[in-house]
Amino acid sequence: MNKSSLPWRTAAKIAIREIAASKSKFVFIALALSVGVGSLAGVRGFGRSFRAMLLSEARTLMAADLSVRVFELPTAEQTQVMDRIVAQGARRTQISETVSMLSAGLSAGPDAPPVLVSIKAVDPAVYPFYGQLGLLPPGRLSEVLRPDTIAVSSDLLIRLDLKTGDRVRLGNQEFRIAAVVDTEPDRMAGSLNVGPRVLLSREALDNTGLIKPGSRSAQRHLFRLDPARQEVEAVRKELKAAFSDALITDFRETHPLITRGLNRSERFLSLISLIALIIGALGVAATMHSHLQQRLDSIAILKCLGARTHQIVRIYLAQTLVVGLAGGLLGCVVGIGVQAVFPLLIEKFFAIRPSTHWDALAALEAITVGLLTAILFTLPALLSVQRIRPSVILRRDHESSGDAWSKRWRAPAPWITGLIIALGIAALAAWLAGGSLADATKTAGIFAGGLLVSLLLMGGVSWGLLRGLKLFLRNPVWKLPSTLRHGIANIYRPGNQAQAVLVSLGVGVMFTLTVFLIQRGLLQQMLASAPPNMPNVFLLNITGRERDGVEELLRSRKEVQGKPEVVATIAARLRTVNGAAVENLKLEGPLRRFRQARAVSQSAEARPQTEVVQGAWWTPESARAFRENHVCVIEDTAKSLSVKPGSRLEWTVGGKPIQAVVACVYKSEEVRMGGNMDFVFSTGSLEGLPLQYFAAARMRPASVASFQRASFARFPSVTVINGADVLEIVQQVVDQIALVVRFISLFSILAGIIILASSVAATRFRRVKEVAILKTLGASRRRVMATFSVEFLVLGLTAGLLGSALATGFANLLLVSLMDAKSRFDLLPNVVAVALSAIIATVSGWLASYRILKQKPLEVLRGE
Amino acid sequence: MIEVRQLTKTADTGTHRVEILKGINLIIPRGQFAAIMGPSGSGKSTLLGLMAGLDSPTSGQVILDGVEISGMEEDQLAAIRGRKVGFVFQSYQLIPTLTAEENVLLPFDLNGSANGNDGSDGPKRALELLEAVGLSERGDHYPVQLSGGEQQRVALARAFMVRPPILMADEPTGNLDSANGSHVLDLLIEMNRREQTTLVLVTHDKELAARADRCITLQDGRICSDE
Repeated sequence: MNKSSLPWRTAAKIAIREIAASKSKFVFIALALSVGVGSLAGVRGFGRSFRAMLLSEARTLMAADLSVRVFELPTAEQTQVMDRIVAQGARRTQISETVSMLSAGLSAGPDAPPVLVSIKAVDPAVYPFYGQLGLLPPGRLSEVLRPDTIAVSSDLLIRLDLKTGDRVRLGNQEFRIAAVVDTEPDRMAGSLNVGPRVLLSREALDNTGLIKPGSRSAQRHLFRLDPARQEVEAVRKELKAAFSDALITDFRETHPLITRGLNRSERFLSLISLIALIIGALGVAATMHSHLQQRLDSIAILKCLGARTHQIVRIYLAQTLVVGLAGGLLGCVVGIGVQAVFPLLIEKFFAIRPSTHWDALAALEAITVGLLTAILFTLPALLSVQRIRPSVILRRDHESSGDAWSKRWRAPAPWITGLIIALGIAALAAWLAGGSLADATKTAGIFAGGLLVSLLLMGGVSWGLLRGLKLFLRNPVWKLPSTLRHGIANIYRPGNQAQAVLVSLGVGVMFTLTVFLIQRGLLQQMLASAPPNMPNVFLLNITGRERDGVEELLRSRKEVQGKPEVVATIAARLRTVNGAAVENLKLEGPLRRFRQARAVSQSAEARPQTEVVQGAWWTPESARAFRENHVCVIEDTAKSLSVKPGSRLEWTVGGKPIQAVVACVYKSEEVRMGGNMDFVFSTGSLEGLPLQYFAAARMRPASVASFQRASFARFPSVTVINGADVLEIVQQVVDQIALVVRFISLFSILAGIIILASSVAATRFRRVKEVAILKTLGASRRRVMATFSVEFLVLGLTAGLLGSALATGFANLLLVSLMDAKSRFDLLPNVVAVALSAIIATVSGWLASYRILKQKPLEVLRGE
Repeated sequence: MIEVRQLTKTADTGTHRVEILKGINLIIPRGQFAAIMGPSGSGKSTLLGLMAGLDSPTSGQVILDGVEISGMEEDQLAAIRGRKVGFVFQSYQLIPTLTAEENVLLPFDLNGSANGNDGSDGPKRALELLEAVGLSERGDHYPVQLSGGEQQRVALARAFMVRPPILMADEPTGNLDSANGSHVLDLLIEMNRREQTTLVLVTHDKELAARADRCITLQDGRICSDE
């Protein structure tokens, strides 16, 4: 036996027996922890099983062994490379994806406007290399897709009230709907997935006339390799050399775009789960604190018998570990439920569902994070053991009444403990955030800092509220009814965790309401704040030949308000900046976009709604005297590339090198299509290149449909996008995200409810005695119920007020500072949140106190 | 031996300061049975607590077996208490979640093989001590299942568990009826003689004090008689 040390066995024995003696209290704190652990285990488990599925089904999700995605048609050299790979034994097919308008023609009635659809053109003889394309009625793709037929997703049929066999118009051609696309293996790996799916053969796509030089379309080249003769890595290298801008993926990895989205969501939701976990841990800390207060005598006896602080801490640490572990295991069960619900919440984002098997590693991770969080937050309570003097046993009345505030502030221990907690939480956040060390550190810093500030703010405000309430109660001016007075006074009952309840319930309300307010504020802002002249209809894919016609159409239609704007654009790849190759520039993160082809524009004069920061825009007259091309650069890009007027830049546009000297650096205040182009060239700079045009116009929302019909009749390959449709898509995405975030933030509220119940359990004996005395003195059950109700109601109302005030503050801060929206105050959601918080607190308080009321006073008083 | 030099203790009640002990000097030789008497509030229990290292004095020195304990850290004091001092309190102070036997064994668990125990005889000695106090049959009972007299006998057994050279008792019979009180006192004195410990006992009871080798009386924080 180790000399002078309380064995863990004895510590565990005392710990477990104490737990057994106060079961209900410890059950509640295990429950409070289980909520956060469950949320975390569910989120991580879902993420892991989704990722595992992406990897195991990588070939099916890509429909190939290897995929090359580009936004341009292949050059002759690139085609040569692909042909060589095919000659070595591989099979290749090309998929083109774009968006355009589809009109139901007469089948859907004369007033039906064309619909924005996402088009996918495949070679039906070979597509897909892996996986199955599900058609209704079932059939072979090569037989279904003819030059004059298409297959469409069911939502298009519903939207246009069509059925299989009906005829529709796409671009220059009419098609018969031959089948419904039920499942599509590579839908998630595709590009430009906006609107219902239209699947057709490559030959049919050519007939539509939608793909022209300069058109915005994605090309996916799929390869099925010959495993006996080809090695995926070698083929990949060969393709990478030929397609430097392409996104190349193969079956050995998860799809980078999907993985990126999944990682971001998982990181965000893990951190929200960590907040639920921290709220649970606050409950554990509060309960342990009151538990230690009740065990003061036992601790003093142990100290009298020679126990050192660390030996006693061992007992209560063992207790925290036992309860934390129980909460963690219970949380794993909750996690299975969360994992099962997740696919339902995000089914609009991801067309496939992973198998929802239990993930042991995610569960272990969540239990570990749960235990560490519980220990971190219990540290102050555990370390307070050191301050308990053994002489308490002899003369409690002579114990110091507490150190003065000035002394407490100067004591280093609380600060060190606070620092350890903050660093611990930051480390856990970094672990959950994952990614590179720099990213994880940044996320952890923001999370821990934000949380610390929020908790301090919450703690401070709730302390102030409770103190204010007490002062209000003591003021003789207010002649409150005795039930109300007694109920409010109960909040200050010794051992009541009023402040912890307020903070935890308040954090839950704050989170849920903040998400709602941002969601509502953002969408209403988008709907209401568009300035009167802001374009709300956008025309894409206008060729040079169509340009004049489209402009004439816009001018002639009476629906169009104000002057429409037509902007020329083409994809250009930046090569050098002041002679330095772009590849050699230090471009990290989002700045890497400058290594890829980006849309550039040209203009005869200064673009509207722009402000010159350096240099000067050309005028039509001054531009005539130019001997070389001039370009204006938007401010952020100029800063990123360190260019100023006089700098020289070089691009490759449509295979042709273009050089230009920087004439000005500008900034644009307006959020509109083309308003924020990185580079705007002087007229003539892009002469002879296959320019595409887009136009933007403002029209009355009710007239958009008639304009769409008119435009489609004359220019079927021009895509007309109604801003309201875009808003609807944005709203769907925002709603979906908000739903997931609200689901996870509900766990914070649940943790708050459990802490409230645990607070009731912790003060059970006091309540039992109090009820007995009240009943003995003649109080009816109703009166006792009323007194308790006031206590829970006031707590719920105060937490609701606290949460809603902070939610309004946070939501406005985010809306104004990050989303450029206006500050706003929504009364109704705040009132609903406060009312719900009060109802939740009262109901859960009641459920926790129900047994107390049933006890007969004599039983209690005899048992004294 | 216990030596106390110029011992003072002041307590802060939050609103004012109370001088509980005002310069106490005394020496209690090894093996002596000393009783400390005095009216309520005279400072008896505080003096006992300071001599046992349960609290730190405001000024002055306490020397236990040649070791000055007045300036020691909390954990050093705990180590000294664990090795050198056994306690018996007025309200028994057993750990409610441990059985009688486990309560007796607790000082051994906390302090290991202190004072010559070989480390393996702990459970055996606990049973012997329980037998000595007449509770060998009740070793697996929890404190709540024992009467007051029985609880105090368990506390007595616990006090002798690691063979401490000093035993401090604070009104050990104060919560017991006369029959039980007398039984506990007899046991205490008998075990004290058998184990050859120095016994310091705080009491109001003159009859009890009369059985001590020496009686020190306190009044208003000062020694008013030492016979």
